[in-house]
Amino acid sequence: MASLFRSALRLRNCFGIKASSIGAKNGISRFNVPVCAKYSNVASNDEIIQPTEQIPAVRVPAEIARNKLVEYGNFVSECLPKYIQQVQITHTNELELLVDPEYIVHVLTFLKDNSLSQFTNLSDFTAVDVPTRPCRFELVYNLLSIPYNQRIRVKTYTDELTAVDSICDVHVGANWYEREIWDMFGVFFKNHPDLRRILTDYGFDGHPFRKDFPLTGYYEVRYDDETERVVREPMEMAQEFRKFDLTSPWEAFPKFRKTPELPPPPADQEEKK
Amino acid sequence: MASKISTGLVGIAVEANARHKLKLLYENLVTVVSRMPSNTSYRTYTEEFANQQLHKLDTIKDDAELESAFGTGQLEEVLLQAKSELRLARKLETWKPWEGSATQPPTGQWDWP
Amino acid sequence: MSSTFARAVAAGAAKRVPIKPIVSANPDQAKRRVLTLYKQWYRAVPLIIRTYQLPYAVETVQEKIKEQFMKNSHVRDVRAIDILIIKGEMDLQETLLNWKQDCHVRDYFENPTKVQEPTDFLGKFLTQKH
Repeated sequence: MASLFRSALRLRNCFGIKASSIGAKNGISRFNVPVCAKYSNVASNDEIIQPTEQIPAVRVPAEIARNKLVEYGNFVSECLPKYIQQVQITHTNELELLVDPEYIVHVLTFLKDNSLSQFTNLSDFTAVDVPTRPCRFELVYNLLSIPYNQRIRVKTYTDELTAVDSICDVHVGANWYEREIWDMFGVFFKNHPDLRRILTDYGFDGHPFRKDFPLTGYYEVRYDDETERVVREPMEMAQEFRKFDLTSPWEAFPKFRKTPELPPPPADQEEKK
Repeated sequence: MASKISTGLVGIAVEANARHKLKLLYENLVTVVSRMPSNTSYRTYTEEFANQQLHKLDTIKDDAELESAFGTGQLEEVLLQAKSELRLARKLETWKPWEGSATQPPTGQWDWP
Repeated sequence: MSSTFARAVAAGAAKRVPIKPIVSANPDQAKRRVLTLYKQWYRAVPLIIRTYQLPYAVETVQEKIKEQFMKNSHVRDVRAIDILIIKGEMDLQETLLNWKQDCHVRDYFENPTKVQEPTDFLGKFLTQKH
């Protein structure tokens, strides 16, 4: 634990990026630092390692990468015990934080500003609709830490009538993502600077990515010659959807089969019988 | 002091007093963090981190070596990171994330149907 | 076995979804906000008619606005009302800033002409429906 950030650096080094590559003495850099960036007191060009020299990138063994993720996950959940409900690692070695929706802004601020994390890049933000759950929408934030070359996924949940705090103050790039989620799922974001529709047409009703939204939609649009304008009328299908049975006779994901555990009948009822 | 013409990064100017400012920031960070309860993880981790950074600042005299010892970019970048860490520490002081445990999600919230 | 079940039940009772207000704290506030929105729409009617060159009288448009509001008169949940108000505000913004086009506004008023479905046997047969 004590050597957490040292191990974070080690983790970085494992990915073939030389830690000192950003330094000015050698010419190799993440961003191809121009010549003017080099120190002017460098004696001669011979000292500068030319960028053509490649340091071989060795793939990190899955187990080592996994242990690092476990270590980092523990670090976050120790620092923020009030906010983080669960830390998990998927079978493809991706770290996931399951977070209380009330504190999503706090968690993302921590991940962005903490020197050992630096998840400054919001690479994706979307929602998943699972109608059978108590809170049907799952919000998924995918973050990238450029200095440490690491990714993390933060998940939280909400339902149709509960607002979630907007993270636009933390990640400006979340603006359009949140507009998209509002448009497609109908999740309302509090304190968003400019929440309005982004993908659907004006006058469009409903949220298309909800599971209860019909595949065809409610309205169809066509140009009408008589009124000389585009008209919208209720959807009418010439033919029902055809059904294809595409399910495999073999079980594809036995790992995700859930054996339903039946609750035992209450004891007093048995006695009455 | 070696003079650097540019950092090569858009929006980040060369900082002449980077060492001095870094030292101030990390010392500030230690004082902010020391106001937190002593058993909190964030305090222990951050104190250790800040002290190590301060130690590196004191012992390593060459700028390029110092940058490679930090391992998170040029000194100007490290300065930005230290600033945001200080901002975070002040925020956490009011948020108090160490008080109490997380509220549990509704039953079956994370189960895949 | 039964103890795990009891624990699950107890946990389930404890883990309900907490209800948080979106904007309005009580039905009174929600009602006031609905009325405010309604007044905003009402006052905007002449402007809407001018912007979209609607061939309707002011009263017709006012009637239509009232109809749209009354469509949701059955909603009692404060949070649902809040969401509807937010959507109404967005709609007003879209209308007043001329983001909508004529057809979007006129869709509320006109029933589009439609090709009449054939009712006789031969007509049905020829259009290949059923």
